[in-house]
Amino acid sequence: MCRATLALAVLIVAGCSRDSAPPAAANGSPARTVAGTRIAAPRTGPAGEWNVPAGDNSSSRYSELDQVTTANAKNLHAAWTFSTGVLRGHEGQPLVIGNTMYVVTPYPNVSYALDLTTEGQPLKWKVRPENAQTAVGLACCDVVNRGAAYANGKIFYNLLDGHTVAVDAATGKLLWRTQMGNLAKGETMTMAPLVVKGKVIVGSSGGEMGVRGWIAAIDVVSGKEVWRAYNIGPDADIKVGPRFKPFYGKADTSANQGATSWPANTWQQGGATVWGWLSYDPALNLVYHGTSNPGPWNGKQRPGDNKWSAAIIARDADTGEMIWAFQPTPHDVWDYDAVNENILVDLPIAGTTRKALVHFDRNGFAYTMDRATGEVILAKPFVPMNWSTGVDLVTGRPTLNAEKVPFQGKKVKFICPSLEGGKNQQPAAFSPATGLFYVPTNNLCMDFEAREVSYIPGTPYIGGNAPEVAGPGGYRGEFIAWDATTGRKVWGIKEPYPVWGGALATKGDVVFYGTLDGWFKAADARTGAVLWKFKVGSGVVGNPIAYLGPDGKQYIAVYAGIGGDMGLLIAGDVAANLPYDVRERGSTLPDIARWTSWGGMLFVFSL
Amino acid sequence: MIRPVVLALFALAMAEACRDSHAEVPPRAAQAPRAVSAQDLAGRFVSHGEHIQPGMMKPFAGLTLVNPHEGDAKAVETGGKLFISYNCIDCHGADGSGAMGPSLADGRWHFGGQPAAVFESIYQGRPEGMPAWGSLISEDQVWLLVSYVRSLEKNKDVTTENFGGKTVERTGH
Repeated sequence: MCRATLALAVLIVAGCSRDSAPPAAANGSPARTVAGTRIAAPRTGPAGEWNVPAGDNSSSRYSELDQVTTANAKNLHAAWTFSTGVLRGHEGQPLVIGNTMYVVTPYPNVSYALDLTTEGQPLKWKVRPENAQTAVGLACCDVVNRGAAYANGKIFYNLLDGHTVAVDAATGKLLWRTQMGNLAKGETMTMAPLVVKGKVIVGSSGGEMGVRGWIAAIDVVSGKEVWRAYNIGPDADIKVGPRFKPFYGKADTSANQGATSWPANTWQQGGATVWGWLSYDPALNLVYHGTSNPGPWNGKQRPGDNKWSAAIIARDADTGEMIWAFQPTPHDVWDYDAVNENILVDLPIAGTTRKALVHFDRNGFAYTMDRATGEVILAKPFVPMNWSTGVDLVTGRPTLNAEKVPFQGKKVKFICPSLEGGKNQQPAAFSPATGLFYVPTNNLCMDFEAREVSYIPGTPYIGGNAPEVAGPGGYRGEFIAWDATTGRKVWGIKEPYPVWGGALATKGDVVFYGTLDGWFKAADARTGAVLWKFKVGSGVVGNPIAYLGPDGKQYIAVYAGIGGDMGLLIAGDVAANLPYDVRERGSTLPDIARWTSWGGMLFVFSL
Repeated sequence: MIRPVVLALFALAMAEACRDSHAEVPPRAAQAPRAVSAQDLAGRFVSHGEHIQPGMMKPFAGLTLVNPHEGDAKAVETGGKLFISYNCIDCHGADGSGAMGPSLADGRWHFGGQPAAVFESIYQGRPEGMPAWGSLISEDQVWLLVSYVRSLEKNKDVTTENFGGKTVERTGH
């Protein structure tokens, strides 16, 4: 089946011209695009920049650079490195604007501007914003930061303690610092903002702390909040009005479903935070985001669909109004957040070009949806799973396996995927040259024990315990190529540990990803053959980028720095800098400490 | 700066010292803070053997915090229940071996592992997000938690991890 799909993909590859001319890459070859595929909003700006966290507003993580090819990738080597001075999980990615690279670290969220024109890449500036230490203990899953956004000469990023800051990209001057989250309630901020039409869009973390999740827009110049939408609660709060038209459940037009699908006032502590990635379609003027798990994990304390937790939501970029919403996992009792990225591409499906949104959910299904309406076109498992037997395309709901539904008082064994999901925050990439998605995945299963929990502000609100083991086959992760027009895996590279770093696709038909045990790899986008690998200083949980240096050469950059949920909570003891915290070796990822330890480093590679 | 705060909390603690030991008492009402004068402080400095004494003086003579439940197995059991009830489990891990917060089962301590130091960590909180439970629960419950937390560390400390064999050999000291 894989071969057939691949052959078809190759056949379709033709010299189709693009809707808009791609940035001119050095040594550029003619554009090759699979017919009917198109990134909804390709990156704008000078050639070779990486000026949006996910590469472009469509979250494609695709680079038009093609100096690195399947033929010469074996000649890649480390060009230069930079220690961020911070340990802990380096999720996220740098930005490159002009001849400057911008790096944001995990807490304390130091930012650096590195001058790429000078040998040794000296700093232009370094910013250490005020950032409450208390936040360290309130962050559920390590003190990560998923990167900065850029617009109009300003760098924007979130601080763990619930502030968003704007920094002058040229001077490092702190332009504004706006409190968006309430740390005392357990609200932290870790996500990468997206700048849309003069507004910085940001969202909260803290789904394990009994918070009420929101997404908000801030004016880029004044730093003042423009709009804020909660994801749960009454219609007015979640910005549901006459324009709200969910594809499923149309018959139910009752008011305040974001509150009535919860018992009493439990939505007030119901989670549904926005800690993942944002996308934007300028033609529809819609911002797409996911929402986290409902709180607490123990479903007995919140019977109902728990709208709009564990949901994919489309909102008007100007007003925040909810246009459509869809719950991949209604009444989520597995901690299957729907925060994973929404990749906006046009795809040829069943003979027509669809305005698609492709989403690899924690619940193990890959959803190919209509991004204008929220219709599920197809949904297929992309990892081993047993909690559901499929998605009903009439209702959009998963068909449950009753034996794998956790409930209080019973330990439900071997549910796949685990609460870390078939994929977590590690973002996928899309290549219009192959028409394929490149997806870092987990293969883990869990025993889930739900228990009663009390809400005590400032403490976790979880109510469950879920130890994890390797899934079927014994491997714990796989880097896969996925055809979203048919819902089929094309190839896969099995990994001993979950692939917790993101993917990069390039026009040279080389895809890149890093592993938890510290390998950075280049693979052939069409066959999955590993072309090159390099052992970096720490496990990779960050996302590679490609950029054109001032010397006209293509560079690939990635953070090393194990951490995040998988690297800190699950890996067990990979640290050596804390004399007062010597942990047990994690049983979920045996021997990971043999291969790597903490360390925050930027690695840059070139031919 | 820190000391008056510690002492104020401690004074409150002493005022409420006698409570029902083994009941899972509901959280108490918040108490109004009050200023502490220098006179209040006289002779009330809490002594910690783990602290550096400037000038190599002997530990300052003052009060010592003593766990009224020291050596009581029932207190450990009750403290373990409180550890779940108050959501400690979700920060420090199901077996206390660390999660969002540090391990309590490694025999290593950031702010001291003696009962008095553990009491203070729970009672007044710590800067990286450890809540100040003294404002919510009784001193007696804090001591029960101290009993439980201190029971976690037995024989768990690891000095060497040797990765040479098929399984990792772990040796403590």
